[in-house]
Amino acid sequence: MNGWLLAAAVTLGGGLTATLWGVTTGPLGRRVVAQNLATAVACPGLLLLSQAYERPAYVDLALVLAVLGPVGTLVFARLLSDELTGHPPRAWWPTWTAAALGTAVVLALCAVTAPGRATVKLLVTGALLVGGNVVAGRALTGGIRGVRGG
Amino acid sequence: MTRRSTRLAVAEVLAWWVALGGLWLAFINAVDTLELAVGAGAAGVAALAARAARRAVTGP
Repeated sequence: MNGWLLAAAVTLGGGLTATLWGVTTGPLGRRVVAQNLATAVACPGLLLLSQAYERPAYVDLALVLAVLGPVGTLVFARLLSDELTGHPPRAWWPTWTAAALGTAVVLALCAVTAPGRATVKLLVTGALLVGGNVVAGRALTGGIRGVRGG
Repeated sequence: MTRRSTRLAVAEVLAWWVALGGLWLAFINAVDTLELAVGAGAAGVAALAARAARRAVTGP
């Protein structure tokens, strides 16, 4: 077992356990925030696995997850907007923690990857991951009606 | 549609095409002629969709 595999195991095991606990317990706002964080944790986990197993194809999975995860959360925010308006969830602490995790993983992988198109792909994946989750977190806490054109 | 708005529309689609084509180039494994041709076509379709989406959000 190398360090990348250990980091992936900790990220996926700890992060997904925490989000599973959040999704299955507590009020609606907490559960919807936890499901948003599940993809924010799984994406860095897949990036770490791609480095651990030396399989670049796993980066494609992470890229797809970084795009589709926040989109799914926006659908939840739209459909649950009536229920969330009265009790908007406070999600800044977990959202920024997940964003910091994604940033740290992407930067670590960039440091060990030879500069080139693979680095660009990693950076785009990281930007989509962090940006998407911040936007999705804002839609959940501020309400989708507050988003321009929403 | 006036001449100026047509020029603006073409410029916007071209800008999207360049940006999305660059993304395609970054994401593929091996750069060869077939990949470039498919990427140019896919970026063209995506550029039209991106402009339509942008107009749906911010208006013309």
